[in-house]
Amino acid sequence: MITFHKVDKFYGDFQVLSDINLHVETGEVVVVLGPSGSGKSTMLRCINRLEETNKGQLTVNGTRVDDRKTDLNKLRRNIGMVFQHFNLYPHKKVIDNITLAPIKALGVSKSEAEKTALHYLEKVGIADKAQSFPSQLSGGQQQRVAIARGLAMKPQIMLFDEPTSALDPEMVGEVLDVMKTLAREGMTMVVVTHEMGFAREVADRVVFMDQGKIVEEAPPEQFFSQPREERAQLFLRRLLNH
Amino acid sequence: MLDFSILTEHFPDYMAGFLNTIKASVFALIGSFILGTIIAVMRISKYRVLRAVGAVYVEFIRNIPILIVVLFFFLGLPSLGVRLDGFTAGTLGLTVYTAAFIAEAIRAGIQSVPQGQSEAARSSGMSYMQTMQHVILPQAIKLVIPPLSNQFINLIKNSSVLTIVAGLDLMYFADIISSDTYVTFSTYIFAAAFYLVLTLPLSFAALALEKRLARSA
Repeated sequence: MITFHKVDKFYGDFQVLSDINLHVETGEVVVVLGPSGSGKSTMLRCINRLEETNKGQLTVNGTRVDDRKTDLNKLRRNIGMVFQHFNLYPHKKVIDNITLAPIKALGVSKSEAEKTALHYLEKVGIADKAQSFPSQLSGGQQQRVAIARGLAMKPQIMLFDEPTSALDPEMVGEVLDVMKTLAREGMTMVVVTHEMGFAREVADRVVFMDQGKIVEEAPPEQFFSQPREERAQLFLRRLLNH
Repeated sequence: MLDFSILTEHFPDYMAGFLNTIKASVFALIGSFILGTIIAVMRISKYRVLRAVGAVYVEFIRNIPILIVVLFFFLGLPSLGVRLDGFTAGTLGLTVYTAAFIAEAIRAGIQSVPQGQSEAARSSGMSYMQTMQHVILPQAIKLVIPPLSNQFINLIKNSSVLTIVAGLDLMYFADIISSDTYVTFSTYIFAAAFYLVLTLPLSFAALALEKRLARSA
């Protein structure tokens, strides 16, 4: 479904990603861990070309993302994305946040888009907030709306960029629960997070990054109990000591 | 004290000037809004050349006196073979000058909408234009209304530079009335009152609009 082949990325002279090789299967849940500044989010954002790669090949669902001729809008309709800061549209009601892209980018009728939106709002447990504005919701509710907004495009892939990092601790659980449900239903997911519990419980595979490289790739039970690489061991030790 | 006979006896002159001031202001307002929006979009373009042209325009125009801009259209263009009457030259100068400020207000408004908004919209498959239309501009307009209404009020007041090129505006007629009658104080006070008739309602309308948009946020 997603394949990185020898991907490099630079900001000027600084190399943010080097020699990234990664393959994500359909229905797989891959959790990306690593210290801040290790390139996790950048790698994630390359998948829907919010960031451009400089070298190597990146293929999503058979389409070359790094090809200039690729129809980006078409590619992106198939990839939902959830951001750290939710990025809901503050001037639109919850329901209109969710229906905007299906109506404009997919050409779905308004009534059908609203039906779909309500379906996903129910799924994330806040159908009663359809007529509210984002500013009237808690952080956890806003992030669940953002997930519903991504799902309403019926994508094959969902990307999560530190979805719980901006939340108050008591709201982290409600968002992770929604993500767990999605994972169980077979959604292909790439998740950048610091939630070790989530990684351990839900991930099919953990990818550990440091300094722009993938340092270790392993099933979660193996990664957490006996990490091979020294940097991964150090990272886990620091986390557990807090 | 105020000499009201100036107002009553010279009312037709005041009205002629007043109407020309309105005409010049409306033309310049529409023109500078269109030109300013184009320049603002150039300044945030991903093409370096367009950004440079926009930046040169803004920095060049807004850092010279409006008087020189107007004189360029009135006295400078004839040397290039283009001869304009005072009203046209003055209105063009006013348009070009104000556009630089409007461009900055609009650019700042668009840029103060957080980057994440356009990322969310683009990553859901909407095009650049759809993102601008449905996500960025509706948010930017709220931020732009206060500085924009300031610019429009400045524009109306700045239209008095038409006097210098015999643009037949309100100030031009006030000058004539005062030199005909030797009554200066009252003449200019009435001229000021005519300007207020235009600028005060605009000021209040902007305030009301601002409040309404703030409520809907």
